[in-house]
Amino acid sequence: MRNPSFTSNIRSILLVASWDLMKLKNQKVFLAMRVAWFTLQVLVFARAISFIVSQSILEYTGGVDYYYFYLLGIYTSLIYSTSISRGYVIADEFDDGIVEYHLSLPIKRGVFAVGRVLGSSLSTIIFTLPMMIVVYVILGVSNLFSIIVSLISALVFSIGVVSFVLLLVFSVKSTDLTDILVGAIDALLVRLSTVFYPLPVIEASGIAPYYVIALMNPISNLADFLRILVFPEYYMVFKYGVAPIVVYMVAFSMGLLVLAIEYYERKLEAGGWK
Amino acid sequence: MKSKAVEIENFTKKFGDFTAVDNLNLDIYENEVFGLLGPNGSGKTTTLLTIATVYKPTSGDIYVYGHSVTREDYVVRKLVGIAFQDPKAMWIDKPYELLTWHARIVGYSSSEAKKVVQDVMELLGLWEHRNKQFYQLSGGTRKKVELAKVLIQKPRVAILDEPTAQVDVLSKHALWDVIKKLRDEGTTVIIATNDMFEAEKVCERIAIIYKGKLRALGTISELKDSIPSGDLVEVQFEGGGIPEGLLRALSDIGRVEAGSSVLKVYVEKGEEKVIDIIELFRRYNVKILRIMVKEPTLDDVFTYITGAKLREES
Repeated sequence: MRNPSFTSNIRSILLVASWDLMKLKNQKVFLAMRVAWFTLQVLVFARAISFIVSQSILEYTGGVDYYYFYLLGIYTSLIYSTSISRGYVIADEFDDGIVEYHLSLPIKRGVFAVGRVLGSSLSTIIFTLPMMIVVYVILGVSNLFSIIVSLISALVFSIGVVSFVLLLVFSVKSTDLTDILVGAIDALLVRLSTVFYPLPVIEASGIAPYYVIALMNPISNLADFLRILVFPEYYMVFKYGVAPIVVYMVAFSMGLLVLAIEYYERKLEAGGWK
Repeated sequence: MKSKAVEIENFTKKFGDFTAVDNLNLDIYENEVFGLLGPNGSGKTTTLLTIATVYKPTSGDIYVYGHSVTREDYVVRKLVGIAFQDPKAMWIDKPYELLTWHARIVGYSSSEAKKVVQDVMELLGLWEHRNKQFYQLSGGTRKKVELAKVLIQKPRVAILDEPTAQVDVLSKHALWDVIKKLRDEGTTVIIATNDMFEAEKVCERIAIIYKGKLRALGTISELKDSIPSGDLVEVQFEGGGIPEGLLRALSDIGRVEAGSSVLKVYVEKGEEKVIDIIELFRRYNVKILRIMVKEPTLDDVFTYITGAKLREES
């Protein structure tokens, strides 16, 4: 027999998650901006950059065309930036006092945190779905297994990023500081990742800190996982294997989710927003 | 003996160095409409938000039906519903969507939620606004959406923070009836308000909070009786002025304010003192045209209590 408390918690998680999904349709302008940015990246910048570096990089990508390599990088950075933009949504909610309302609802705080993270992550996946379809059509991916695993891995990654941004927003309790920190982290993490360059190229550059950060960077891990999934030939030049990436991504997401739950349950209270 | 719905024990809340509520002790009984009165920044909202577990006490504790807000916050939230002072919605939210989500969260099934939301929205005159965005609603309508959340939830303890601020006079009366009906259906209602008329109209007991401290507590008549010289005897008289001797004699009875044709005497137990006042007017041959004994309003009580504290502190 199912535990009624468990059933009730699952119901609450799904209802809380529906809060973010309900708001998704109000973000048409934001979606249009993202689609425009993405189209520009795919059609202009990605083409241009791959024209410049395509031949010289093939040995590091296992023969994968740099344009294709880069497309999965852009898709990964899109997942990341959409997940992190939830921070702005939550900061706006804090500004408007919605957080006070949420904290007063008859739901366990930990359950609420899980629901919020899940809702934001699902919103991210739905939001980026049109762009993913564009990328996978260009790449010619038709393997259903690859597509489903890609979506699941993107969701797991997004859960980690959203948990992180929840912790950040609720810790700093400031719109300005949220803007600055999110902007700085965004700039650093995306650039110090394998979104643009394969890990062997970064390693060959001889800049050890850059290599270590790129290796440990969650964005790199998702981007490379998607590349391995779509291009088996890339796996041949990727010396660390798939298992460490999977373990890393699950640990990254679950670790941050647990921290977010702990923070919601033990420390979070309204007020003090600057 | 009345059972306690909310027990506030040595509750203190600080924000940094600022003490918003200072060692508050208060009991709120089951099934009463309890008023928290105080000027802006007195600590009313902080107290209410702590009962609703939105804030955590710095020290002390609050119990709702015996459950601690610090140790059993989830249980407390299942018992308490709150309508915030500032309606909680984003500018693009639509009332129907928001209230339906709220109904689902507080435990209704999907079909029940639709029904209860429609019923409550119709009761509050919100149905025609159901699909408007929040920025298109007037201040009063937004407040009604906030109140609708509590009516949908039907909690055992309803917290209403200035429920009729920005609401027009006609709607105010309707909302007061709704609040009383909520109480009649078994809910304990706690109202924070600046509106003395509202407090007199709706509340059975009142606490006056000022600068984070409890200054007075009781029923409305107890509070009125608690202020010295609380009654006012107002005398309209004939002729040009009051003889000095009469003024001196009246001053022995109470505090006197004399005008050209109206004289006010602030006394305790006005219904007894009025006979002495009439007798003094007769003795000095000043003809009384009209005489009235007035009780102090809650406004007078509030002004006296907060003013007295202000004087003490200065």
